[in-house]
Amino acid sequence: MSDDSERVSDRVSRRKFLMTSGLVGAAGLAGCSGQSGGDGGSSGDGGDGGSDDTATPTEAEASGDGGSGNGGSSTSLLTAEGSSTVYPISNKGSSYWNSNAPPSDGEYWGSNSEGSVPGWSEIETDMLLADYFAQQFGFEPTEQRSSPPFPTTVGLSHSGTGCQAVVDGLVDIGNSSGPITAELDWSEEKANNTVVDHVVGRDGQPVVVSNDVIDAGIDQLTGEQVRAIFQGEVGNWSELDGIDYDQEIFVIGRAEGSGTDTAFRLNMLGDADAPMEVDTRQGQNQQVAQLVSQNEGAIAYMALAFTSESVIPIAIDFEGTVYEPSKDAENTIFDSAYPLNRDLHMYTLIEEGNPGGGGTGPREAAFLNMFLTTFGQVVFVEQNNYIPLPTKDIQAEKEKLSDLMA
Amino acid sequence: MASVTESEGTGLGGATRRQIQRVRDFADDTEPAALVTVTVMAIALLAAFVGFLLVSSLTIVPFAVFLLAAGYGWLRHQGPTAQVLTLTMTVSTLLILGLIIVFIFIEAVPVIRYESATVFGVSVPGLRMFIETRWDAVSDPVRYSMVPMIHGTLLVTVIATAVAAPLGVAAALFLSEIAPATVRELVKPGVEILAGIPSIVYGFIGFTVLAPWASDQFDLTGQGTYLFVGVVVGLMALPTVVSVAEDALSSVPESMKSGSLAMGTTDWQTMTSITLPAAFSGVSAAVLLGVGRAIGETMAATVMLRGVPRLTDPLVNVFYGQETLTSLIARNYGEADGLQMDALFAAGVILFITVLVISIGSQYIEWRMRRTLGGEV
Repeated sequence: MSDDSERVSDRVSRRKFLMTSGLVGAAGLAGCSGQSGGDGGSSGDGGDGGSDDTATPTEAEASGDGGSGNGGSSTSLLTAEGSSTVYPISNKGSSYWNSNAPPSDGEYWGSNSEGSVPGWSEIETDMLLADYFAQQFGFEPTEQRSSPPFPTTVGLSHSGTGCQAVVDGLVDIGNSSGPITAELDWSEEKANNTVVDHVVGRDGQPVVVSNDVIDAGIDQLTGEQVRAIFQGEVGNWSELDGIDYDQEIFVIGRAEGSGTDTAFRLNMLGDADAPMEVDTRQGQNQQVAQLVSQNEGAIAYMALAFTSESVIPIAIDFEGTVYEPSKDAENTIFDSAYPLNRDLHMYTLIEEGNPGGGGTGPREAAFLNMFLTTFGQVVFVEQNNYIPLPTKDIQAEKEKLSDLMA
Repeated sequence: MASVTESEGTGLGGATRRQIQRVRDFADDTEPAALVTVTVMAIALLAAFVGFLLVSSLTIVPFAVFLLAAGYGWLRHQGPTAQVLTLTMTVSTLLILGLIIVFIFIEAVPVIRYESATVFGVSVPGLRMFIETRWDAVSDPVRYSMVPMIHGTLLVTVIATAVAAPLGVAAALFLSEIAPATVRELVKPGVEILAGIPSIVYGFIGFTVLAPWASDQFDLTGQGTYLFVGVVVGLMALPTVVSVAEDALSSVPESMKSGSLAMGTTDWQTMTSITLPAAFSGVSAAVLLGVGRAIGETMAATVMLRGVPRLTDPLVNVFYGQETLTSLIARNYGEADGLQMDALFAAGVILFITVLVISIGSQYIEWRMRRTLGGEV
C-alpha cells in the first residue's frame, strides 16, 4: 500500500516537471522561428525573371500619380517600381528618406553617444537625413522629422515591368536586375537615348575560403581551377597547379536548384544544368559561413556580407584578368565584369524638362545620390546582402548626377 | 487490440450485424427530438466535409448548421449529443489520417512514374528509385534515387538504437529496481526534462561542437558524420526509452519479485530472471518507440548532415554523413519544384510505410510477449 501512495507523489512531481520542460520547449520554439533573416539577398533570382513588356492598367493607376511631373524643383511624390531583387535596396532607402531622421538619432542617421551610422565621418552634417541629400540638389530643407522635402514610394513588380513603367512615364525610377536592353529587347543606342542607367549595387557571390587556405599562401585561383574544384575533378589543394598545400578540399555548395545554385552553375560552370560534385550543400549564407569558419580546406560561394576574418574572399583570375577582393583595386570582385556578379539598375527617363540635357531630374538625382555614399552603400546595399560598388564605379555614377548639384 | 480480438471471435459479418443492432438500439432509446438534432448534426457535418473536398466557399454554411445543432443539442439533449460528438471526433481523426495518406501518395505519383524501370520487358513504376543510387535534381541524367537516403536513415537508426537501447534499459532497471526512492524521485523527472529539450538544440550543439571535433579527430574532409548524428539522435531517444521501460519494469507485481526472493535468489537473479522477462513486452515497446523517434528525427539530422545524397564508401563507413529521408525533405522543400518536389513526397511515403511497419511490429511483439510471458503491463 505504501508503495501506491509513493507512486502518486511521483506522478504529481512528474507532471510539474513535464510542465516545466514544456515551457522550455516553447521557449526553444520561439527562438527557432526567429531565424530566416539575412538570406533575402542570396537567392538573387527571386521573382524578377519575367519581362512583361506591358504595364497593366491597374499598375499604371496605382503608381501614376506624381510620376513624370518633374519639371524644375517639383516636390511631388517620387515613385519607383520594379524588380524584387532591387526592391530591398530601393525600399530601405525610401523608408529612411521618408522618416527624415535627425542627426541626433544615431541609429538611422547621424551620431550620438550610442553610436553613429556607417560612413558618418564623410557626412558630418547637422541637417536631417532627407534634408541633407535634397539640399545638395536645390531643395529647401523642411527641418522637420517624418517630413522630407519630397516623399518617395517604391512599388514591387518585375524587372521588365519596372523598365516599361519608367519608359511610359508611369514612375520616376524603374528598378531592374537585368539591363534594359535585355528586359525590353532594345538596342544599346536606343537605351542610351531613352534612359539613364544608374547602378546602385551588385548582386553576386564572391568565392570564399577558410583561413587555413589563406595561411597556406593561396589567395588567388583561376576560373578554371574553381570550376575543376566544384565539378569534383580535384580533391586536394596540392593537385592544383602551383599550390603546395596538402589538404583535402571541402567543397560547399548551395541548396540544389535554388536561385544561387543555378546562378553559380550558369556563370561559373557555363550551364544552368552543369553537373556539380560538392561535399555538402547548405541553404543559408549563415550556415555556409559557419561551415567555412570551422572546417579546414573549405571553399564556398556566398553573399559578401557574411565574410569575416575566418571566411575570406579570394581573388579570381578570369582569362587573364585578376579580380582582387580589395574595393580599390583596378579589377575587383565588386566589378560588374566579375562573372558571378550582375548590376542592379535604377533607370530614369531622359526628358526635355530635365536640365543640362541629362536624363535625371533633381528629385531622382537627390534620391539616387543617397545610395552613392559610403552610408548608402553599407546600409542599403551591403546590409541587404548585396555587393557594394567599388570606389571607381561610385565616382562614375556620381558623375552622372554632378550637373544637377546645386 | 480489443476490437480486433472481438471481431476475430465472431467473424466480420457478426460484427457488422452487431453494429447495426447497436445503432438501432440507439435510435429506439433516444427521444425523437434528440434523434432529429443528432441527425441534423451528422448530415450537416457530412455536407461540410463534401464542401471541403470540393473547395467550395459555401462550406461554412453546413459547418455553421452543425455548430448550431451541436450547441442546441448540448443544451437540450446532452447525452445523445455527447455520444455523437465523441464518435465524430474519432471518425475525423481517422479521416485526417486517411486524407494525409491519400495526399502524399497522390503527390508522389509523378516521380514514381518518372522513375520506372524495365524488368524482363515489364515496366515497373518507381523501381529505378531503388535499383540506382544516383540523386541529381539538376544535371543530366536527372535521377531521384531513394537508396542513399534509405541507407542514411538505416545507419542513423542502427547507431541511435545501439546508443539508446542498452543505456536506456540499464537506466530504467537501475531506477526501478536498484535506486533508493529519493534518487528515483529526483532522477526520473530529470530524465523527462531531457525529453523536453528541443531537437534543434541537440542539432546545434552537434553542428558547432561535435562535428568540427570529429572532423579534426578522425581527419575527415569537412564535417557531417552518420556516427555522431546517430549518437545525438540516440541521446534524444534515451528519455523515451528510460521513461517507458521504467514504467513497464515498475509495474511488474511486487508479489512475483517477493516470491522469487523467498526462493533464495539474489536481487540480481530476480531482476534478470523475473522482472526483465515479465516486463519484456513493455521494454521492447520502449526500445521500438525510441527507434521510431530516431527514424523520424529531422532537425538534428538536417543541421548535422552534409545534404548531398550519395552512398558512403564503403557502405558501412559511418564517418561521412550524407542525407536521411527526413533531412532530405527538410532541406529541400523550400527550393524544390516539379519532379524534385514530388520526389520529396516519395521520401515521405517511404517514411510513412517504415513507421507503419514499426508501429504494427511493436504491437505484434507486445501481443506475443503478453501471450507467452503474461506480464502485466
